[in-house]
Amino acid sequence: MATQHSRTAARLMISPSVLLLLCWMIVPLAMTVYFSTLRYNLLMPGSNPFVGWENYQYFLTDPAFLTALVNTLLLVGGVLIITVIGGILLGMLLDQPMWGQGIVRILVIAPFFVMPTVSALVWKNMFMNPVNGLFAYLAEFLGLQPFDFLSQAPLLSIIGIVSWQWLPFATLILLTAMQSLDQEQLEAAEMDGAGAFSRFIYIVLPHLSRAVTVVILIQTIFLLSVFAEILVTTNGGPGNASTNLTYLVYAESLLRFDVGTGSAGGVVAIVLANIVAIFLMRMIGKNLDA
Amino acid sequence: MSRAVTPQRKAFNTALAWLIGLLIFFPILWTVLTSFKTEAQAIADPPIWFNFNWTLENYFTVQERSNYFRHFWNSVVISVGSTVIGVAIAVPAAWAMAFVPGKQTKNLLMWMLSTKMLPPVGVLVPIYLIFRSVGLLDTKLGLVIVLTLINLPIIVWMLYTYFREIPVDILEAARMDGASLRNEVIYVLLPMAVPGIASTLLLNIILAWNEAFWTLNLTAAKAAPLTAFIASYSSPEGLFYAKLSAASTMAIAPILIMGWFSQKQLVRGLTFGAVK
Repeated sequence: MATQHSRTAARLMISPSVLLLLCWMIVPLAMTVYFSTLRYNLLMPGSNPFVGWENYQYFLTDPAFLTALVNTLLLVGGVLIITVIGGILLGMLLDQPMWGQGIVRILVIAPFFVMPTVSALVWKNMFMNPVNGLFAYLAEFLGLQPFDFLSQAPLLSIIGIVSWQWLPFATLILLTAMQSLDQEQLEAAEMDGAGAFSRFIYIVLPHLSRAVTVVILIQTIFLLSVFAEILVTTNGGPGNASTNLTYLVYAESLLRFDVGTGSAGGVVAIVLANIVAIFLMRMIGKNLDA
Repeated sequence: MSRAVTPQRKAFNTALAWLIGLLIFFPILWTVLTSFKTEAQAIADPPIWFNFNWTLENYFTVQERSNYFRHFWNSVVISVGSTVIGVAIAVPAAWAMAFVPGKQTKNLLMWMLSTKMLPPVGVLVPIYLIFRSVGLLDTKLGLVIVLTLINLPIIVWMLYTYFREIPVDILEAARMDGASLRNEVIYVLLPMAVPGIASTLLLNIILAWNEAFWTLNLTAAKAAPLTAFIASYSSPEGLFYAKLSAASTMAIAPILIMGWFSQKQLVRGLTFGAVK
């Protein structure tokens, strides 16, 4: 049904989206790359001389970079482990027959809709605060010393908060995938004498592998850019203890106003994100053909 | 699809699931409860559950001290504005890709998606500097522009997956019956496309409402939506639990309700159709 005429119309219909995204992608990206080669600080106006790789050298050899890189990996990895394992277990539970399934589902996915600044502040003040937080009461009740989560284990605390936000997403996706599992296959395996554990390992898990991959990849994209949760709880501290790459680049650019170094950091962040993106795009692309 | 199980098993499932569900939901419940307490009751030791004098005072105080409604309105304008504009731009594109697919359609879709993979911090500096030089910093218009652009790929994708499910045969049938192209679009295609468009609007308003990188970095007092306004409670102000809770409850309530209605679209929209 596609005539020459309709092809032209289609091109016209698509072009606004394409042009906008093209500008959005290319203009700032080119500027970031360009800035990353200049000595450019907003606090020191004047000429911004070309310095080549100097900013990259400065950014990559700064001890803060290594800390931030490790923190980023710990944050992404920690949240992924918690949410994927938690999501599989919770998804399996919610897939069982029970009363009030719909309501439980609503309770479980709720945290996903809470804006990051709210969830971080509620956890920070009302739960993790060492004096008035609920955890402090709980510790007191159990006869333990209250623990100052955000100063003694800042990164771990943030991993906890972010996991709470993303567990619903993982659960929802994995539950959706589980519901498409053929129940007869499970029953047949059961009749053949397969125990619950081997049914899980040989039937459920392989069926979920695709959904798990999608969850891991999509969450990684978002988790690499965790920002608000760090900003309102620890400001990346104490020291650099909870600074991730995103926060470090933010601090270089908008707190220290070092545009050159910040841009170099931005380029590094883009390269890292792209490594993940390539895998994700392949997965989604395959699905498009199916 | 659920298998027959013994009543004991079902009771056990129910108890366990409700326990976990309530634990996960607890921080939200606690925030809502605290918002109706006085500041003293909010930090009482031991914590008070339901047995307190319920008061709306915090809600009024938050509004009086910081003009809460202004930030709420900013959130509404920014999230709805960016979504509506995004959908208006994306509908024709998704429509064309779904109904007149060419050789490049798939590549185009994948390329659009790849723009979404760009970490925001990679373009923070130039966007900030551009906005500063053209006076878009701390304006609602600036945020509408940015959020439209960052959500455009998701909008195109969601609409595309919905449109693709509309059977093309029905168009040919309508044409056989003598429908003009105009009538074909208005009476045949549009009614079938409306649910998909509505779901896309819903999910994207949620995403834009909660977006907390650009809203925090590009706004100050004037155009700050709720995400940025609540962040100001990270200072000692946040230790006034009842007020923090009241501000938070109002910020999450509308979106929580919308979110519960969009569970299904969420899976589809956020996995780009990879899981259905």
